[in-house]
Amino acid sequence: MRYVINAMRMNLRRAAQYRASFWMQTLAQLVMTFGDLWAMLLLAERFGGMAHWSLHEVMFFFGPMQIAFAITEMINRGFGHITTLIRMGSLDTMLTRPRGIAAQVILSELDPRRIGSVAVGLTALIVATRELGVCWTLPNILLILWGMAGAIALMMGLFMLEAVVCLFSVQSVEIVNVFTYGGRQTCQYPLDLYPQWLRITFTFVIPVGLCLQYPICHILGKSLGGVEARAWVWLSPLAGPFFLGLMWLLWRWGLRHYRSTGS
Amino acid sequence: MNFRAYRTAFAVHARQVSRYRGAAIGGMVTQAFFGVMLVALYSALAGEGELLRQTATYVWLQQIFFRAFFTTGGEINEQIMSGSVCYSLLRPIDLHFWCVCREMAAKIVGVSMRILPMFLIQFILPENWRMLPPNSLVGFIQFFLSLLIGFCVIAQVNMITAAVTMRTLDNKGFSGLINLVMMILSGNIIPLTLAPERLQAILRWQPFAQMLDAPIRMYLHTASLGEWALSFGVQLAWLVGLTLFSRALWGHNIRRIELQGG
Repeated sequence: MRYVINAMRMNLRRAAQYRASFWMQTLAQLVMTFGDLWAMLLLAERFGGMAHWSLHEVMFFFGPMQIAFAITEMINRGFGHITTLIRMGSLDTMLTRPRGIAAQVILSELDPRRIGSVAVGLTALIVATRELGVCWTLPNILLILWGMAGAIALMMGLFMLEAVVCLFSVQSVEIVNVFTYGGRQTCQYPLDLYPQWLRITFTFVIPVGLCLQYPICHILGKSLGGVEARAWVWLSPLAGPFFLGLMWLLWRWGLRHYRSTGS
Repeated sequence: MNFRAYRTAFAVHARQVSRYRGAAIGGMVTQAFFGVMLVALYSALAGEGELLRQTATYVWLQQIFFRAFFTTGGEINEQIMSGSVCYSLLRPIDLHFWCVCREMAAKIVGVSMRILPMFLIQFILPENWRMLPPNSLVGFIQFFLSLLIGFCVIAQVNMITAAVTMRTLDNKGFSGLINLVMMILSGNIIPLTLAPERLQAILRWQPFAQMLDAPIRMYLHTASLGEWALSFGVQLAWLVGLTLFSRALWGHNIRRIELQGG
C-alpha cells in the first residue's frame, strides 16, 4: 500500500511539473468531449430528438458513460500505453520487481488530465437531470454510482484485453483500440438506436448495456429495446467486475507466455 | 528554383509510407468500424431515404480520406530535440516547402493505399448504408480538384501545428488542441451538412471546412459554375492565407533555433 500511495504522489508531481502543458491537455480533453456533445446537440436538433429518446434523455446516457470512461483512462493509462512499455523494455524491468505486475503497469502512469472529460460529462448529466426532473433519491444515486463502477471495471478489462494482444504483437495496437474508443463512441447513445447485432454485442459480449445502460433506464423509468429495466438492474453491473476478472486471468496467462521484444 | 530536391523528398517519403502496410490495415479496420457505427446511428435517426444515403456517403468519404489528417510533422520536432535539425538547415533548400512535400507525399500515398479496400468494405454493407456514386462526371472532377486543394490546406494546418510544437516542444498541448478542433470542425465527428442552416452558413466558410467538407459537398451535388467558382475561390483563399501564416511562423522559429553542443 505504501508503494501505491508513493507512486500516485509521483504521478501527480510529474503532471504538476509542466503546468502549462497540463492545463492545455486538460483543455484538449474538454474540447474533445465537448465535440461529442456538440454532435449530439446538432443531431437532436436536426431530427427532433433521437428516435423515441429526447435530447436530454440521451444526454443522461452520455454523461455517465463519458465520466466512467474518463475515470478509467485516468487510472488505467498504463495499460493503454502498454506497447510503449513493451517496446522500451520497461515491462521487462517490472517483471523483475517483487510487486504485482498489473499494479506496476497501472501505477506507471496515472493521468489526471481526463478531468476535462469528467467536467463535460458531469455538466451533461446535471443539465439532463434538471430538464428531466430526475429525483436523486439515495437508491438512484447508489444505482448510478454502482453502474459506473461496473462500467469502469468493464473498460479496465477491455484495456487489459488490448494489453494481452499487445504482449504477442506490438503491431496491432490500432485494431484493439476499436473496442475501447469505439465502445465509448457507441455507448454514449442508448443502445436500442443501433441494429440488433450491435445491441447484443454491447449488451452481452462487451456488457456496457448491462453495467450502465439498464441502470440508467431504471432511473429514467424507461425500457431499452423492449426490455423493461426492473429490480434486476441492481445485479447486472456485476457483469463489469466479472469481465475484468476474466481478462485478468487472460492477462496472467499472457504474461506466462510473454517473450520480450529484446534489446 | 530547382525542384529536383523537392521531387525527391516527395518520392522518398512516398516510398517510406507505402511500406507501412500493417498500420494501413489497422487504420482501415478502425475507420470501417467508426463508419459503420456512425451510419448505424444516422440510419436510426434519419430513417430510409435520400438524407440517409447522402449522410452515409458523407461519412464514408470522411473515413476513406481520414488518413489525410495525419501529420509527419513530428519528425522535424524530433530533429530539433535531437539536434539533427542542423543537417536539414544546412541543405540549400527551403525547409518549409521541403516539409510540405513530405506531408503531401504521406497524404497522397497513405490515402491511395486505403481507397480501394475501404470502398470494398463499405460495399458489403446493406444498400442503404453504402456510398452513393458521384452525382455526375463533372461533379466528380470538381470533387477531385477540390480534394487536392483540401489536402494542401490540411498540410498547411499540419505545418502550423508543427511550428507551435517547435516553440513549446510539447506535441500534446496546444498542437493537440488544434488537431481536435480540426476533427470537430472539418466534419469528421459529425457531417457539417447536418447542422442547422444558419450555422452551416458560418461553418462552410471556416478554414477546416475547406479540407474535406468542401470536396464532399461537390461529390454530393454537382455545383453550378458560379457555386463552384465561389467554393473553389474560398478554398484557394484559405490555402494562400494559411500558407503565408505557416511560412511566417516557420521563418520566425528557424531564425530563433539555438543549436547546442557539437
